[in-house]
Amino acid sequence: MHNVTKSMIGSLLALSLTGAAAAQAEETLRFATWDTDESLAIQQAIAKKFEEMHPGVKVQVEPYADGYDQKLAAAFGAGNPPDVMYMWNFPQYYTSLMPLDDLIARDAAEIKPDDFPQGLMNTTRVEGKTYGMPSGFTTQVVFYNKEMFAKAGVEEPKDGWTWDDLRAKAAKFRDEANKVYGFAVDAKPDPYDFEQFLWSNGTKYISDDGKEIDGYMNSDAAAQVLDMFADMARTQEAVTLNLGDDTSGATLFKGGKIAMFQSAMWSKAGIDAAGFSYGVAPLPKFGARVAHSALGVSAISIAKDAAHPDLAWEFVKFFSSPEAVAMRTNDLPVRTSVAEEKGMTKDPIYKPFFDILATSNTETHAYLKNANWGKIQDNLARAIEATMIDQGNAKAHLDDAVARSKRLLK
Amino acid sequence: MDMAYAGTKAGVARRKRVTAGRHMAPYLFISPWILGFLFFTLGPLMFSLTMSFYDWPVVGERTFVGLDNYRSMFTEDPQFWESLWITVKFAAIYVPFNIVMSFLLALMLHHVTFASGFFRTAFYLPSVISGVALVTIWSWIYSKEYGLLNFMLSLVGIDGPNWLGDPNLAIVAIIIASLWGLGGTMLILLTGLKAIPKELYEAATVSGVPGWAQMLFITLPMLGPMLIFTFITSIISAFQQLTIALLLTKGGPLGSTYFFAMYIYDNAFKYFDMGYAAAGSWVMFVIVLALSLLVMRWSAAWVYYEGEIRQTDGERNA
Repeated sequence: MHNVTKSMIGSLLALSLTGAAAAQAEETLRFATWDTDESLAIQQAIAKKFEEMHPGVKVQVEPYADGYDQKLAAAFGAGNPPDVMYMWNFPQYYTSLMPLDDLIARDAAEIKPDDFPQGLMNTTRVEGKTYGMPSGFTTQVVFYNKEMFAKAGVEEPKDGWTWDDLRAKAAKFRDEANKVYGFAVDAKPDPYDFEQFLWSNGTKYISDDGKEIDGYMNSDAAAQVLDMFADMARTQEAVTLNLGDDTSGATLFKGGKIAMFQSAMWSKAGIDAAGFSYGVAPLPKFGARVAHSALGVSAISIAKDAAHPDLAWEFVKFFSSPEAVAMRTNDLPVRTSVAEEKGMTKDPIYKPFFDILATSNTETHAYLKNANWGKIQDNLARAIEATMIDQGNAKAHLDDAVARSKRLLK
Repeated sequence: MDMAYAGTKAGVARRKRVTAGRHMAPYLFISPWILGFLFFTLGPLMFSLTMSFYDWPVVGERTFVGLDNYRSMFTEDPQFWESLWITVKFAAIYVPFNIVMSFLLALMLHHVTFASGFFRTAFYLPSVISGVALVTIWSWIYSKEYGLLNFMLSLVGIDGPNWLGDPNLAIVAIIIASLWGLGGTMLILLTGLKAIPKELYEAATVSGVPGWAQMLFITLPMLGPMLIFTFITSIISAFQQLTIALLLTKGGPLGSTYFFAMYIYDNAFKYFDMGYAAAGSWVMFVIVLALSLLVMRWSAAWVYYEGEIRQTDGERNA
């Protein structure tokens, strides 16, 4: 017993000594991420490279995973934020983040800001200042099962196709007995992504000054979009997801139960693994209007009170360098030069992702326009769900969502 | 005379010291809980009261707004009233069911003589399962296409409903899932039943009192304190219902299971509006407190505590 205690004290001492020595030799940069699995492994590899280039620096990768927002908020609330962190919710955090414009301008020769598509840079800007560097992105596309199309004798989607085209094709796959359908509509879509359909139909959730939703969110153009999806559910051109059953669209698509599936880069690896031949089509257009896509962007930011601000900026620069961007194979490269070098802008699978990026730089996501958007969005989500359950009446449900959100616009 | 007087005085002092020591001991024994309560409950409690008067984001400036959070909640926020109403509805169904069913189960277990240990374990076991695992089990049971419940219904020719997808049914589904954990209440009532002296029933039987009257005039009154305890704890747990709704329905469909606790949770950890969430918590606290006081006041009329009589006896003797 005595010996055990002794050796424990000994090892504790040894531990604290090595700890002290390490602290002297190394600067530790804290980097928080929401990624897990392979994406996390890639980030750890990038961090390792950075450590090799900066002897004496240790990058502590902190994977907060699903609890990211809660843990990050707690870290900021406690006055102990990580130096560098993944960021999407800029309106929530920007007052505690370091503006990067001066640094970007200073190191422009090295960074080449023009290599980043404008649409992506728009998502990291609040009140005219840039608070993050994009590190990965995805746009939305339609995956389709080539084998199912061939078997049913349906012509594959083409560039410039419309929602009417999609509906006509989808109708041909309807097979109630085997529960096979042409497409899937979601009763609980992420309102963030859903705004792309309003943009594509010539409207938006909220005015550009962030003060008005009446006449936007509940406009006829918005109701038309919602009613169209509800109608696709009613006519069974599409199966409805998330109505008391959480089987995902990805599961149905991979299982050959739906012929077309609207999703983004995050579904690609799973579809590859499903082992059938598939194609990627752009988002359909509403009539003659240009199609817009939502931009899913992960960016990295620096805390205003970072313990090592200079080192943090070095890390952000490296994370945005062509070398690191090329390493991130789990989402799409944020540098045009890297995308071109990898031949992705010409590859039939990847091309639709980049094509629509070019036409998606004129609109700003609603959460960047109003600080209360999170709450307004929940009222909107309920209106979408109500329309899908009702299989119609979009206008009434959207009006209700606008009325409920009045107090949040002050 | 002087000496004797001094002696008496010292004696009194010593006796006082002894009594003081004897009085201190119980407080020392409960001090870990008292201290824990002061630091980890009362402290945060008071802190949250302060917070409720502020516009308090997690990140950024906090501003004093007085009663504005409460005003906005009561006059401008339809969700507040909807969530409150959903919670009241839930409590009104859950609490009576919880107590009556626990009581019936406890009665059965009390009278069962065959393999009583097995049955006791079997009935209590479900309440050991932790929240998340419980919800996973129920989501399989309720699934429209592949669920156990609808499969059973299909065996008797009923086309099962969409339990979690129908705004009218989802709250029923949550009530059923919540009743799963009534083993705890059952155990308390069973202990109460075991503690009722057999002589009372023997005397009643000898006097020819029928079974139902024994239940009404012996079992229920003797169980009074236990019933009132479970009544109050059930009300509190009904108002705090969060885990099952959060994981099973996420408040939906169409907000039909958006409980008051979830409303508070979302304000705090989804919208990061800590002041508004704290104000909501205080409204909940006041409601639960008022209900508990009401139940206690009302119960004084019919709950019989053995201890009360003993105390009166003691006072009379003194």
